[in-house]
Amino acid sequence: MTLRDKDSDAQEQRLVAYAPRVYGLLVRMVGNRDTAEDLTQETLLRAFRAFETYRPEGKFRAWLFRIATNAARDWLRRRPLEPALGLDADWPEATSASPRRQSRPEDRLLGGERASKVEAALRRLPAPDREVLLLRYYGGLAFNDIAKVTGEPLGTVLARAHRALKKMAELVPEE
Amino acid sequence: MTRCPKQEMWVRYAAEELADRPRRALAAHLESCDACRREVRALARGLEAMERLEREPALRPEMLETLHRRLRVAAANRPQRPRVISLVARYGWMAAAASVLVAALVLNLPKPTAPAVLPGNHQAEAIQEIAAAIELLQLAENGTTPPQPQNLFPGGRTNELNLLLELDDAGLLLDYLMSQDGLQG
Repeated sequence: MTLRDKDSDAQEQRLVAYAPRVYGLLVRMVGNRDTAEDLTQETLLRAFRAFETYRPEGKFRAWLFRIATNAARDWLRRRPLEPALGLDADWPEATSASPRRQSRPEDRLLGGERASKVEAALRRLPAPDREVLLLRYYGGLAFNDIAKVTGEPLGTVLARAHRALKKMAELVPEE
Repeated sequence: MTRCPKQEMWVRYAAEELADRPRRALAAHLESCDACRREVRALARGLEAMERLEREPALRPEMLETLHRRLRVAAANRPQRPRVISLVARYGWMAAAASVLVAALVLNLPKPTAPAVLPGNHQAEAIQEIAAAIELLQLAENGTTPPQPQNLFPGGRTNELNLLLELDDAGLLLDYLMSQDGLQG
């Protein structure tokens, strides 16, 4: 095995480890599981191809989730005739007859009763507000990093987070 | 009671993203303000709600298999470049920094009329600096992120000041500055 192969293997492992979180973010951004799977693969492939441009001094997660966010935004832009989020049909809690989606483990995880109220509340948030919460939750990013990923000023990101969290508190009953 | 901080500050407070000093200033404000206490409770409930989601949903094995296959194809199709060029492309900035450091050390060496050996302290410092540069390059080689320069003000004072200025909250800014200068009782 050459040094180059070792590099590629290490990069592959590092990226695949993030696949579930990237998928969790994307499925809630685009509201469609099949699309989210495709975009997850696309994101990780783009990252793999761009690894040489990644600077070690930057935050890897912020870099990766910026690629994922851009992939989702591109997809949403390319599909102007469809609802911004096809949530009624494909939001994780919904059932589906699609062969790709039958009996998936995440159908149970994402659609569990405990999480379903949170999913429903998320659906009601404006997309940019939801994006901030999802980047915080799945990306584990600090608000400073979210501002860099979304290209918005920190004050705007904090205002979005504030509005979104208050709405979630209002819509999701306490346990 | 001081004027209430802007709502955005409470988001960072609830998310535990504030440095110790501004956090303590906000906590002190909370003790005397019911409205802000309600605000923070609501934000904390919102954060708790998000915790109910599955953070790492399981992926279909078929999807993962396809992903691995596509990544291997991408690896095979990568343009072949000598490893040294790849390293320079990725870590060129470190090499440049190390070069500047070495150049600075060379320029600071005593002129020919000076004694051939550096004074003890200077020599030790120079060795330490070169060792640090080597360590930096080794960290990069191993894929480890090198330590970044710290804020000039321990505890993130610069960042917090920037945020307070951006949020344009004179009351909170004053509280913060007073607490920095030890003027608050």
